[in-house]
Amino acid sequence: MGFLVLASLVLITVSFRSSALDGVQGTGATVLRPFEVAADRIARPFADTIGWFRGLVDAKNENKKLRAQNEALRRQLILDEGAIQENVQLRNALNYKGPPSIADFDKVHASVLSNSQGVLDESIVISAGKSDGVQPGSVVVEPIGGPDGTGALVGTVDRVTSHASRVTLLTDSESAVTATDVTNPQVIGAVRRGGGSSDVLILDRVPKKPFVRVGDTIVTAGSLGTGPLKSKFPRGVPIGTVSSKSSTDANLFQSIQLKPLVDFSSIQTVVVLVPKSTG
Amino acid sequence: MDGVKAALVLFVASLLQLSVLTEYRLFRTASVVLVALLSVALLRGSIFGAVAGFMTGLLLDTATLGTLGITSLLLTLGGFWIGRYGETTARDRFHAPYVSVAVVTVLYLFGQLVLQFMLGEPAPAGLVLHGLPGALLLNLILTLPVYALIRRLFPPLELGDRIREVRLLG
Repeated sequence: MGFLVLASLVLITVSFRSSALDGVQGTGATVLRPFEVAADRIARPFADTIGWFRGLVDAKNENKKLRAQNEALRRQLILDEGAIQENVQLRNALNYKGPPSIADFDKVHASVLSNSQGVLDESIVISAGKSDGVQPGSVVVEPIGGPDGTGALVGTVDRVTSHASRVTLLTDSESAVTATDVTNPQVIGAVRRGGGSSDVLILDRVPKKPFVRVGDTIVTAGSLGTGPLKSKFPRGVPIGTVSSKSSTDANLFQSIQLKPLVDFSSIQTVVVLVPKSTG
Repeated sequence: MDGVKAALVLFVASLLQLSVLTEYRLFRTASVVLVALLSVALLRGSIFGAVAGFMTGLLLDTATLGTLGITSLLLTLGGFWIGRYGETTARDRFHAPYVSVAVVTVLYLFGQLVLQFMLGEPAPAGLVLHGLPGALLLNLILTLPVYALIRRLFPPLELGDRIREVRLLG
């Protein structure tokens, strides 16, 4: 018993203070990967059946709502496409150097090997690693829904092995990202986890002056910067929508709550944004 | 033979935990691994529980790319303590697995919190307090089928095998 406790303490010390065990851990994770995939495949039909029944209950209402939304979005898309073309033409004409966008990155698709474990853990393990070009700090987004075939922000890679990586979710208490309001770019703040459940994020440090409306979409701000201060987040990755806002005389900043666009509890696949390969 | 069976049971429980249960928000705070380990420890004693806990923790930390040793330490202590509880007083009592799972679930969560705090990582106690009732309830619900299954796989020890165990008299 004493030996096992001692061994655990030695492992904690070595694993926490150095990367000496990363190789062993990476190999172990790689060995376990087929078993995890097999378990997932065995469970998938059951999960799909449960999801099918759950979906059936809400399908009729949701169908009506989505049809109306679809029509509104179709109109919006026509306007947006025109604006994008105009934007590209003006950028080219001015030789404008803006913050990095999703188009500046290569995209590595990966499946989620394991979701968050327990109350304190806000990380997932994905099936892409160093061999795919993933680096610590790489930005991870959902695979669908947003511009360039990518979706909302999931988090950043914090640990990489040869064939797997650990992604710290945006809902982790150590995560934060500079963000802005799509409809009002003057609004700049930091999105981080709220005090309670992981269903709520907050947009912090937004002064009372810029006007934020409930329902506005909040996206990553990105920034040009230089050297190590250059933002690792491309501009325009959707994060969430404003669900409530309030302000008090005692507080210099607004209190803005966001509903994340990602359901962090059931992420199946992700896209990792890696630097473009030269060659 | 018991060792191989325990390894298989805990490996399957770990896969279930890593790949299946955590996909559902409802089950995210539950730990089928913890329940399975405590059931095995209760039925097979302290040393068996401690070794099983250490190996299971190592497996989980490896699969989640977490800091190696944290889960091992907590599960080693949990397995040893509940194994001791089983050896001394409680193996045959109906409430033993439920009491064990309830107590260790609470201690495990706070143990995680303390270790994270000591390692300088964020340790939000509010999150633990928020998630504790759910974790407790789900683990207790899981105890019924998991303990029944493990009791079938690990039938009570013969007297000869229990000779090294401690038993309180009276």
